[in-house]
Amino acid sequence: MSRQPVSMRSALAAAATALALLAMAGCDGGAIAADTPQSDGQSFVSGSYASSFYPVGHRPQAPAVSGTTLTGQQLSLAAYSGDVVVLNFWGSWCAPCRAEAPALGTLARQLQSKGVRFVGVDIRDEPDSALAFMQTFRIGYPSFNDPDDEIALLFRSTVPPAAIPTTLVIDRKGRIAARIFGESSYEQLKSLIDEVAGLRS
Amino acid sequence: MTAATGDAKRGPAEDEELTKVTQGTLSPAGENGSELAEANGSGSAGRKSPELAAASRSPLPPASSGPVRGGRLTVLGWLRWGWRQLTSMRTALILLFLLAVASVPGSVLPQEGIDPAAVTQYYVSHPALAPILNRLSLFSVFAAPWFAAIYLLLFASLAGCVLPRTVRLIGSARQRPPRAPRNLARLPMSASYTTDLTPAAALAAAAGVLGRRRFRLDQGDGWVSAEKGYLREVGNLLFHVALLAVLFSVGLGGIFGYKADRLLIVGQGFANTPTALDVFRPGRLVTPGDLQPFSINLLSFSAKYVTSGPQVDEPISYNAWLSYQSQPGAQVQHYLLRVNHPLVVDNVSVYLIGHGYAPVFKVTDGTGKVRWEGPVPFIPVDQTTLTSEGVIKVPDAVPDQLGFAGVFLPTAVDVGGTLQSAFPAALNPRVSLVAFAGNLGMNSGQAQSVYQLNTKGMRELPIAPRPLAAGQSMRLPDGAGTVTYLGYQQWISLAITYDPGQLPALISGFAALAGLILSFLIRRRRVFVRAVSASDGSTEITVGGLARSDAAGGFEAEFTDLTELLRNEHVGRSWQAARTGDGTADQPDDFNSQERGRLAVPAESAVTADDAPASGDYHEAALSREGKRGSDARQHKPG
Repeated sequence: MSRQPVSMRSALAAAATALALLAMAGCDGGAIAADTPQSDGQSFVSGSYASSFYPVGHRPQAPAVSGTTLTGQQLSLAAYSGDVVVLNFWGSWCAPCRAEAPALGTLARQLQSKGVRFVGVDIRDEPDSALAFMQTFRIGYPSFNDPDDEIALLFRSTVPPAAIPTTLVIDRKGRIAARIFGESSYEQLKSLIDEVAGLRS
Repeated sequence: MTAATGDAKRGPAEDEELTKVTQGTLSPAGENGSELAEANGSGSAGRKSPELAAASRSPLPPASSGPVRGGRLTVLGWLRWGWRQLTSMRTALILLFLLAVASVPGSVLPQEGIDPAAVTQYYVSHPALAPILNRLSLFSVFAAPWFAAIYLLLFASLAGCVLPRTVRLIGSARQRPPRAPRNLARLPMSASYTTDLTPAAALAAAAGVLGRRRFRLDQGDGWVSAEKGYLREVGNLLFHVALLAVLFSVGLGGIFGYKADRLLIVGQGFANTPTALDVFRPGRLVTPGDLQPFSINLLSFSAKYVTSGPQVDEPISYNAWLSYQSQPGAQVQHYLLRVNHPLVVDNVSVYLIGHGYAPVFKVTDGTGKVRWEGPVPFIPVDQTTLTSEGVIKVPDAVPDQLGFAGVFLPTAVDVGGTLQSAFPAALNPRVSLVAFAGNLGMNSGQAQSVYQLNTKGMRELPIAPRPLAAGQSMRLPDGAGTVTYLGYQQWISLAITYDPGQLPALISGFAALAGLILSFLIRRRRVFVRAVSASDGSTEITVGGLARSDAAGGFEAEFTDLTELLRNEHVGRSWQAARTGDGTADQPDDFNSQERGRLAVPAESAVTADDAPASGDYHEAALSREGKRGSDARQHKPG
């Protein structure tokens, strides 16, 4: 039950890796992996991870998500078809989630009338603390209770959540249009949602 | 006609070999010697001056081997010189050493990829030094440009050394036997006798004998040459190719494999997806979508310990009962996970690498609402007694955020007024907590470890620490809330590894070993037969033998056997011819005496340096050296 120190083997692995990387340099960068935002005027808060916007035609279809919410209700994203859905993977123990929570709560209230629905996915959490989190940050939208990571796994072949938090913006046709790995800011998220929902004037 | 064309055909090949001799690469002893020396890391390249080393490894004439040509430096010359430097064994060893040295800071300084919190801590404690270290990439040594430079060079060096050698070995394995030397008597082993067969018939018979013994054959005017033991070259080739395959396989794992850790409490489950993993170290080309979509639930865990004797507290066994699915919707299967008996699902190995306790707490805040209820993993600080420490964070408590630092004692005993754990099993579990209220520092978004409490913005609540038994509560002062210890759960930590290069690396490792064994055990050996018509109408047969390397003796015996076979073939036939015609009956005795005479050539009469032909005939030149060696060796034999 102990860890091995860095061995020569891993050094060789690194060597081989580097060579292969060198060989593959220049073959990188598909349309979907392009981290360059398509819209202008976005402000990125330092410290947040890359956000990606997928132009129409490069948007993977989101899987059908349904389950039980933290308050015990049944919920299916299919109920929101025709709306833009902002799906946020979070946990009450996760500091960046706590930092971005006020922005999400505010945006959810502001954009509800414009056909934008917020849904959370609570991961690696206990219901009591999760509900306390929602109360603290006045989160009005529902969250799936996903202790076994089933929902995260559903996104495996499209845009799998790579960090906590992860925020996905799903367009009105049920396609994943944008994602943010890591803490999102009000401006960043609003800009992406506006772009996807066609709210930009 | 046949003779002329035959020799003409051999011409170019001989010239080619001649060229190689001048470079000193083909002479058997030289080739083997240098390869061995290089494999031992003290090769000629290591001792000679760079130009000489380059020349000795070069397939080109010495004139163009250095960076200097005609007193002037050429770009090509420099490049060539540089490449030879890079691919020399000395450089490879230096790079290997550098790589080892370069990874030292990785184990001395905290690393971003392993423990980001420790790096942050380092910034706090060394505000002046940390930015400098960071600029030198010393917090992420294995991703540092200078580290990459070293291993790239090392890989280039290894590949540059092994690849050309592989090409050369392919050529060597496909080589045809050389033409027979003129004077077979100069070979380390030789024999001669006469037969009544015509030279052509005798040679055909000899070719038949040698061919049946699976020698590779070549024939010319008056001679047959045969060579065996090409498996040596095949083995050598196998070794080199396998060596490249090992490198490639290991790289495969580094590119497409990944490693992850996950702590799992009994009764909980997780899926193999990045957000569910505590530590995730993907290979360079691994994306989150590449992870095999299995999920695991921990049904129960038990640890057994020695309860008495000198090995008391030592673990006997760890058993973790898992249920798992290879993918969503797949059949649920069960597995008993033990140390060194990993669960293998979808080619991913899941190892049991640790365990501990997770006390279960319920925390209510000042408003009386439950803000936390569940197990909290505590980390063992003493492996023999499993005394564990952990923290509870209740960031949504009202009016103040609450934090607790706790110690869990599986078997609490009173030792001189203080509680200690006496045994790793939970026989008398107790928890003692220190309570804090204030700002946990989580809402700012700065990621923090779930096992550490940042007490900078918090005040310790004035309550006498009291060890809690299951079901006991501790009321916090000023109506801040209550904490209850409900009992404990156990957790295990899992190491998840996916290494697609593992099996190829193992296979190529074995192949390399097999190749090495082949190349050590098998000798290249040559047998030449010349047939010349004597003046009395009989045919004089000379047989010569030469082992190309002096690894493992035994060629003498094989040569004697072969000579015996050849003689039986030739003389036996001539006997038959004698019965039908009028051959001489005492031929065999003749032969025997002659053969004995030949084999008993005294060492002094073996070819000396003066005898070495100046013509540059490769065989003669090479054999003269072999001859000396062979005769020296024979001196030690009795008789």
